[in-house]
Amino acid sequence: MRKTGLLAIIFTFVMLTTTSVFAADTIKVGVPLAATGAYAGSGDNYWKGIEMAINEINKGGGLLGKQLEVIRFDSQEFAPEVVMQGANYLCGKMKVASVHAGWAGWGQDIRAYGKYDAPFFCDDGAMPAVDVYKSDPEKYYNTYFITDTGGDQANSMFNMLTALPYEYPNKKIVIINTDDAWGMEVGDTLSKQFKKIGWKVAKRETVPYGINEWGPILTKIRRINPAIIHIEIPSSQEVITFFRQFIKQPTNSILSYGWSITPLEVLTTLGKDADGIVGEMPAGMPAPKAPNAKAQAWVDQYMNIYKHPVPAGSWIAYTSVMVWADAVKAVGDEYDFKAVNKHLKEAGYDGLQGKMKFGENNTLHAQPAAPIVHYQVQDGKLVALFTDPPLKPYGEYKFQMPRWIKK
Amino acid sequence: MFLEIIEVFTSGLINGSVYALMAVGLTLVYGVTKAFNFAYGSFYNLGGYFAWVLLIPLGVIGGYFSVFFMAIPFFFIVGYLLEKVLISPLRKYDDWEMKVMMLTLGLSLFMDFGYQAIFGPRIKSLPGIIEGTVQVGEVVLFQQDIVIFILSLSGMLCFWWILNNTRTGMAVQAVAQNPAGAQIVGIPKDFIFAATFAISTMMVGFGGILLCQKNFVDPMGSTDIMIKAWVITAFGGMGSIRGSLYAAFILGMLEAFVGWYFGMIHVQIATLTLLLVTLAIRPRGLMGRE
Amino acid sequence: MSLKRMILTLCGFYCVMGIMPLFFGGTDYIMNILIMILIWAVVASCWDVIMGFAGIFSFGQVAFYVIGAYASAILSVSMDIPPVFSIIMAGVITGLVGVLVGLPCLRLAGPYVALVTFAVHMTLVPFLRGPLGRAIGSGGSQGILTIPPIKLFGLAFSSDQLVPFFYLTFFLTIICTLVLVLMIKSYWGTAFLALKDSENFAASLGISAFKYKLMVFALTSFITGLFGALYAHYVGMLSTKMLSMDVFTILMIMMVIGGIGKYPGVVVGAVITVTLSQLLAPLGMYRPLIMGAIVVVLVLFLRDGIISPIIRLLSPLQRVVVEEE
Repeated sequence: MRKTGLLAIIFTFVMLTTTSVFAADTIKVGVPLAATGAYAGSGDNYWKGIEMAINEINKGGGLLGKQLEVIRFDSQEFAPEVVMQGANYLCGKMKVASVHAGWAGWGQDIRAYGKYDAPFFCDDGAMPAVDVYKSDPEKYYNTYFITDTGGDQANSMFNMLTALPYEYPNKKIVIINTDDAWGMEVGDTLSKQFKKIGWKVAKRETVPYGINEWGPILTKIRRINPAIIHIEIPSSQEVITFFRQFIKQPTNSILSYGWSITPLEVLTTLGKDADGIVGEMPAGMPAPKAPNAKAQAWVDQYMNIYKHPVPAGSWIAYTSVMVWADAVKAVGDEYDFKAVNKHLKEAGYDGLQGKMKFGENNTLHAQPAAPIVHYQVQDGKLVALFTDPPLKPYGEYKFQMPRWIKK
Repeated sequence: MFLEIIEVFTSGLINGSVYALMAVGLTLVYGVTKAFNFAYGSFYNLGGYFAWVLLIPLGVIGGYFSVFFMAIPFFFIVGYLLEKVLISPLRKYDDWEMKVMMLTLGLSLFMDFGYQAIFGPRIKSLPGIIEGTVQVGEVVLFQQDIVIFILSLSGMLCFWWILNNTRTGMAVQAVAQNPAGAQIVGIPKDFIFAATFAISTMMVGFGGILLCQKNFVDPMGSTDIMIKAWVITAFGGMGSIRGSLYAAFILGMLEAFVGWYFGMIHVQIATLTLLLVTLAIRPRGLMGRE
Repeated sequence: MSLKRMILTLCGFYCVMGIMPLFFGGTDYIMNILIMILIWAVVASCWDVIMGFAGIFSFGQVAFYVIGAYASAILSVSMDIPPVFSIIMAGVITGLVGVLVGLPCLRLAGPYVALVTFAVHMTLVPFLRGPLGRAIGSGGSQGILTIPPIKLFGLAFSSDQLVPFFYLTFFLTIICTLVLVLMIKSYWGTAFLALKDSENFAASLGISAFKYKLMVFALTSFITGLFGALYAHYVGMLSTKMLSMDVFTILMIMMVIGGIGKYPGVVVGAVITVTLSQLLAPLGMYRPLIMGAIVVVLVLFLRDGIISPIIRLLSPLQRVVVEEE
């Protein structure tokens, strides 16, 4: 019986030590993303961007003459010890040269990867994560936030909503957001901003995930008849069922979906029915026409490989790999983390949309080369109306009056 | 105000009919076989994927008509085999109820991630059975909600009637009350167990098809469905079909009115509080037998 | 299993565990796994004692684990109580919650107990995320990200120094394991055997099922809470993501693999499950799929878990060992 325990441990020992494969002439890149569970859809979006960048680098002869080797880790649903295990596995055991993630744990990840020095790119987009960084910038110097925080994005949404070429019939807004850090941050910021310019936040509701029957909320909305309804739920099911039930008896309201317009299913399911909804994407790629030929070529290539439009996260995840590769090339040694991080922080990178740079708190703030893009659904497709900053109309695309708004 | 209450009431009815549809299979199988099927939600999803495969990649002729037609034998056989192969071998042990729970939990894990492996992690949407809306006074309703309401109510009542008024139904009840006694008077106990399981699987498959076309096929959604069905059957009294029907509509109404008056965030706590209070007063649920 | 055998088995197991840091002290990744094995072995053992031994269909184990973790984190972050005390207080709080939950639900029938205890699990998510949770300092949806390390004798124990933390956990694990073993083999244990054989007869001898069940529930909740708290100070961050079904199923699988009610099988189950889960991790979504299949097969063909065939295989050997000593 004692042998049982012994056998089990020997089993553990043997298995754990033999799993690492040593290949000398590759550079290991860690990719901790959700491959299973509720966040697998978003994990897939980031993965496609990362995969594309890695393939592109490898096809072009690799980095410093070495091929890149991807090591994936399934962060599941971001339970604390899983996030930590991911960091220990990728940085501690596999000794990866950099870590490229998307949604990665909203603050837990910063602590987990802060123990190591390999550059860590994440898209937490939430203040709590930045707060962890701020608590000890020297320790967490290897963390890079590839999009702006929810608050900054909400400010941009506010600017866009007030800049729409549309006369609001009243000054009432309804805000519905999820009960996670992201939803609360956006909801709080928007209601603060709208109150400041004299609007009335007629209803602010925080909802849990998983709601498919919106009757009770829509009943109230119909009585309020607000000028704007803002929905901030980063999950496709809820926003689709909301739209279907809204449209059966609509109010004269601009429907602003914020980030919730971006999950792929929203447009593939609703198609042209969704025409008129506005929404945004941080560090996005303006569409349908990209801002320049290089970016357009990239978009075409993406569509070619994955057969669907570019979702949120893909482009910036692609770019984060490129930014890192650029820094490694400049430094000449992928394991000289001090120098790579210094370069990442200081040098900036010439991306598809122009020169970009990480700013305060190691965050890739919205900037002309990585703008927050505000879209409207037109003819079943995302059409960029504005880019921000500075907030300016994009191309020749025009705002269309949603069909449910009656004059 | 009055109009608002009518609208919220309608929402409650829709919720209730959806819940009734979710729960009916679970309450039936638990009432008769005492086996608690943890993979229940996965079979619900199986219904969704069954319809999706037939309608989208295969594009069967006849649309939903053929889907339902094919679903009857498919789910019956799946349920029957499941009982025969996985559940009935466990019945000979003392703690078989616990073993069944463990086994079905493993099965649900296997099925849920099987769906993800085959169909990918993203949600799928099905074409609607009927599109369009009806206006009743000031209230606008989806036609499909009316269909779901009628089907779930009539399905439940139909089963209730069969169980109480036909010979087969009474045999099933006899097995439920006293398996050994039922066998002595010549009721094929094992067959009744398997058949009940099969019928329950069929019902949940149907529920899955109907509700997935209303909402989505979500590979990760099965746990939520399972928990909802579990709460409803426990609240109504495990094994009581009438109880489940009441429970579904009571909880549906509660959800709509709490969501409307206090906010959606309080719905879950309100539901669970009601459940706990009910169980504290009536340990076997609303209509459960002692 | 006799007391001697049980203690011998556990002794052997923990002796081997105890020397592991000598080999892996430098590898964070493996140390992390070892610490999680120790923590989960105890949590799963408690569950096994509740389910397999006392016959209570409790599904609230993960909830108690999380309650312990949050209690200690809140106490030490918001009230500045030193972690050493907050961990013990968290254990006591969890024990009390256990009694509160146990009082109404231990009288219910099987699946109802499961549902009520699981309802506690389900209420925790909206509670911790909602305004009530934020009022007591749960940090809402973002969780608590700055839990201080345990300070003892001037040393700080946290995930930054894994070897000291391993031995701290190890020490606590051994104490709690001893408590569990003593309980199983004490008068309580005999009482439960009697209750299992014939509840009516046992009751006629004056053994109150309710009283003993409540006591077991309280004790295991206490230990679970304690280890939840330990976990909180170990990872230094908490979120409601801990309440996802993943942890729940993993613990359940440990029991199935180890054999329900076959203590200390569950300890071996913990080792195998954690190892397997780590080994299968590169397979992504096939990992839970394979785990699920394993559970189905084990329940069907190895109804007492993996431990009894191993015992049967090793029994000649074992007899020699036992006799020698």
